[in-house]
Amino acid sequence: MNEVCFKNLDKENPASFATYEANGGYKVWRKILNGELTPDEIISELKTSGLRGRGGAGFPTGLKWSFMPRNQEGQKYVVCNSDEGEPGTCHDRDILRYNPHSVIEGMAIAGFVMNATVGYNYIRGEFMEPYYRFEEALKDAYKAGLLGKNIQGSAISYDLYTHLGAGAYICGEETALLESLEGKKGQPRFKPPFPANVGLFGKPTTINNTETFASVPEILSRGGQWFADLGVENSGGTKCFSVTGNVKNPSNFEVPMGTPFSKLLELAGGLKEGRKLKAVIPGGSSTPLLPAETAMNMTMDYDSIANAGSMLGAGSVIVMDDTTCMVKTLTRLAHFYYDESCGQCTPCREGTGWLYRMLQRILDGNGQEEDLDLLLSVGEKIMGNTICALGDAAATPVESFIKHFREEFEYYIQNGKSMVEEEHNLIEEAASV
Amino acid sequence: MSEIEIEIDGNLVKASQGDSIISIADREGIDVPRFCYHKKLSVAANCRMCLVDIEGVPKAQPACSTPAANGMKINTKNDKAKFAQKAVMEFLLINHPLDCPICDQGGECELQDVAMEYGSDVSKFNLGKRIVPDKGIGALIQTDMTRCIHCTRCVRFGAEVAGIVEMGGTGRGEGVKIEPFLTEGIQSELSGNMIDVCPVGALTSKPFRYEARTWQMNAVQSVARHDLVGSNIYTQSYRGKVKRVVARDNDSINETWISDRDRFSYEGLNHESRALKPKIKVDGEWQETDWQQALQFAVDGIKNNAINPDQLGVLASKHASLEEFYLMQKLARKFGSENIDFRLDQTQLSTGSSLESSINLSEIESVDHALIIGSYTRLEQPMINHRIRKAALDGASVNTMNSKNFDFNFKTKCNALTAPQKLLSALQSVLKAVHLKTNQDIPNDVSDVSPSEIHNIIADDLIASENGVIVLGEHLNSNPNSLAIINLIEKIASATNLKIANITISGNSHSAEKANFIPSGNGLNAISMFNDNTKAFLLMDVDSEYDFIDSKSAQGHFSKEDVFVVALSSFENQSTLTSADVILPMASFYESSGTHINFDGLVQSYSASVKSPGESKPGWKIIKVMADLLDLQGFDYVDSTQVKEEALQSSKVKSSVDEANIQSIDDSQVTTHWQYAPYASDSVTRRAKALQESNVGMINRAYVSKMTAHKIGLSDDDLYLGVPVSIEESVAEDCVFIHTNQARRA
Repeated sequence: MNEVCFKNLDKENPASFATYEANGGYKVWRKILNGELTPDEIISELKTSGLRGRGGAGFPTGLKWSFMPRNQEGQKYVVCNSDEGEPGTCHDRDILRYNPHSVIEGMAIAGFVMNATVGYNYIRGEFMEPYYRFEEALKDAYKAGLLGKNIQGSAISYDLYTHLGAGAYICGEETALLESLEGKKGQPRFKPPFPANVGLFGKPTTINNTETFASVPEILSRGGQWFADLGVENSGGTKCFSVTGNVKNPSNFEVPMGTPFSKLLELAGGLKEGRKLKAVIPGGSSTPLLPAETAMNMTMDYDSIANAGSMLGAGSVIVMDDTTCMVKTLTRLAHFYYDESCGQCTPCREGTGWLYRMLQRILDGNGQEEDLDLLLSVGEKIMGNTICALGDAAATPVESFIKHFREEFEYYIQNGKSMVEEEHNLIEEAASV
Repeated sequence: MSEIEIEIDGNLVKASQGDSIISIADREGIDVPRFCYHKKLSVAANCRMCLVDIEGVPKAQPACSTPAANGMKINTKNDKAKFAQKAVMEFLLINHPLDCPICDQGGECELQDVAMEYGSDVSKFNLGKRIVPDKGIGALIQTDMTRCIHCTRCVRFGAEVAGIVEMGGTGRGEGVKIEPFLTEGIQSELSGNMIDVCPVGALTSKPFRYEARTWQMNAVQSVARHDLVGSNIYTQSYRGKVKRVVARDNDSINETWISDRDRFSYEGLNHESRALKPKIKVDGEWQETDWQQALQFAVDGIKNNAINPDQLGVLASKHASLEEFYLMQKLARKFGSENIDFRLDQTQLSTGSSLESSINLSEIESVDHALIIGSYTRLEQPMINHRIRKAALDGASVNTMNSKNFDFNFKTKCNALTAPQKLLSALQSVLKAVHLKTNQDIPNDVSDVSPSEIHNIIADDLIASENGVIVLGEHLNSNPNSLAIINLIEKIASATNLKIANITISGNSHSAEKANFIPSGNGLNAISMFNDNTKAFLLMDVDSEYDFIDSKSAQGHFSKEDVFVVALSSFENQSTLTSADVILPMASFYESSGTHINFDGLVQSYSASVKSPGESKPGWKIIKVMADLLDLQGFDYVDSTQVKEEALQSSKVKSSVDEANIQSIDDSQVTTHWQYAPYASDSVTRRAKALQESNVGMINRAYVSKMTAHKIGLSDDDLYLGVPVSIEESVAEDCVFIHTNQARRA
């Protein structure tokens, strides 16, 4: 556990330059500065490692980096997406807090590979502490002469800037992030063109997630094969998971890909006494919910979770026990997407509000029988028809919650109250408190 | 671009690599529903209405933003495409008020049209609809933002075409509002196009509000006459009144845009001061009469006062039609007078027609450099300015030599602030610099000039330009050395191989020149006509208060006891009543057939859109009958087309700008430059209520620099010649630049 991004977690002052360097940090970057590594070697090593984008989409990193027109004239950019906003996710925050230098080194390496001399780390607006930690680390890296122009006479230049967002979930979408970084309203761009050709300020740009960049130095230092072997086929290496919800010990865990879900649940201390597992959202609120049995049989890697009917996503595992009211949970999620829709394109702007209001109406006891089918139909009409994935993300939980727990929704509509809470006498309990 | 072949709805179609699917579909006549897509604006892909199915792609893709690739198989109408399109339609309609019965867009609404095919009869949405409060955005555009479908066409129009970002999307999610960022109302001179691009009833024409239903109106193809472009328009009328003017596509002229002046000026047609009945002045008293009497009175007056034919003067505004110009000059010449002119607002008049432009409208957008001399092109010739802006966005550099730094909607590189009295020497300095730098022989008249730094920069840019243009603007008209200046510009252009765009003239001036509406031989021009010998005048659409460079002496002359004035006029105002002895009520814009010749020399004819009000008659008919009554031969026309054919046979007098005598001016003297704001350009526009209430319409300022203000004792908000003073650093020294709608007082 905790072998790559969190490897310094148990050390004294894990975030400091000294700790990072003492544990092999900046070794790869110095090799590059000494001319001992070529971009092609790095890309090949990354391809061997099986590292896939940790932000959610899981696109192979080595392949992504090879798409950049590195020999094209003009400015190119490397952007780190630290706008960690997916409900249930908080591991990038801890990488920024406890291992900021790995992100800096990873980004610098990316800059070298793609011939980009400027990088931006776009940090979520609410992450004040991680922002200051990262800024401090950045200052130290400059002080150590590892960043800047013509670094240590190597003819390699790399300047890194931190940008604090303003608190919009949508800016985690890479093209909305670019818009925001350019000083515009954070709204996703349509694709094509893709950022690799037309990105930040119209220039070729590679955007990766914090965890992806943080994994790169360790991979290059210990070898792609070493990393690949940590995980399973098609899911190389380790992955940080944020386990939250009805567990005793909600926390971040970096475990090898392919770790059984049951093991991860154990690490998080298991469920509270007397509770039964009801359902799991394995990859963040935008990924489909899985019922307990399916979840207990899956392992934490891209393929197994996909076979189970969901996605690894950003590795945000939300655990729900048998006291969870699915109607209330879904309504909360629907409110989140309704609130965070940028409003640019029609299905999401109009559809998320429709979904949320119908669910709220059910909660208010005014649900109608046809509402469930209408919810599903509205979800279906949003799905796939929007510029970015937020529309899909809003529709996905609706579909999966109703699919697996339809009777709870029907009960709420018919009785105007929650089946689960009634079963567990939670209503009276709450009233007596 | 390499050629590719794709399949759309089963048809094999050739296209260029990178063409959007929607543009190919449009070309092939395949209907793809859309709201945000507009062929002249950037792609936004936000409405999602144009989703189509591409074989092998799991999700439906927007036809507007998806480039076609070789072998692509596209289906715009299969179940998958229809499902996606209907889904989007449903989302667009849930929060739309569907208040079509009280919406001015009803009947020409894209949402309504598309909903007919893609919408459902019954709504599944049973929640409350969104209501959006409106912000007023000025006198021209009515907002009903509850109807807005957030396509952002208006936003993109502002950013990309008008060049002023006035509308934007604020808020997010369901709360996104398309609204102005500022509270002062829309400032753009092209703002009305936002009404045209708005696919729904969110932005509609304010003067048109509740005037008529769109399907009740009679649309007639017409041509706008306020500027040199001759923008193509439709006039839409209801019960004999023009109710609205909208743009008509013509890529080589106005593309798909028109200026606010062309769009909203029609309101002036219904102004209370319309001349509706013939009137004659008997013993100083005005009497209404019938046409026969009035015409006889006019003809007798002319005969009695112009005892010698050369005592007749004939003047017309630059907005008359080719036919009117032609018949007027024919009448004058047959009568025996050469005293003919339309150039009422110029200080110096050449004997030939004006300097010819050597560039086409559509070529302007591809120049690599433009030097603008004496023009605020944005307000004076909005569509020509639009072409300059396109060139500037494409990388062309623009320099200016104006007496004030104007708020252009593109970046200018070097602005040489030059007071009118110093423009001649400034251009001499530029010419000298050009000759020095290109080792050409130095002309005698600039041999002792030493170019200043800024004039060197201007010369450098002119020399470096391979495909540039010099734009001469209407500010030159009032310059005491205008002819010498135009001569110099011609020399500079030829020394640097630049083209010339002459926009010193405007309206339908090219028709006037085509019809030889200028004096020849010993004829008197618009300045020399005001002498003791000219005893009778025939005026067409002339407002002596506004139109003359020296309105005082014109008015003074007209009011003389022994001067007889026949006014063919659409309006009666005090100045006409004082000047004239007969008022013959004339049809105005859109009320008569006619012809406009534009900047490119393009001849565009139009028919009458509505009948003229009251007893007023088309100008060309009035002149024809007068000619008959004067016993002049050759006026047996059956319709205006015959007049046009004959007019087009005439050959224009060669362009010649005389080597004028240079007026020596005391350089230290403070000059006043009286420049009309764009909505004071003609008698109709001056009476268009909404235009006058718009931001551009209310322009009324005398700009003066701090030093000059001190010199002549002015401070902020003083009145200078009746115009409130603004002290700004953007004005040339020793000059007061008056930009106003008020009648000229200097």
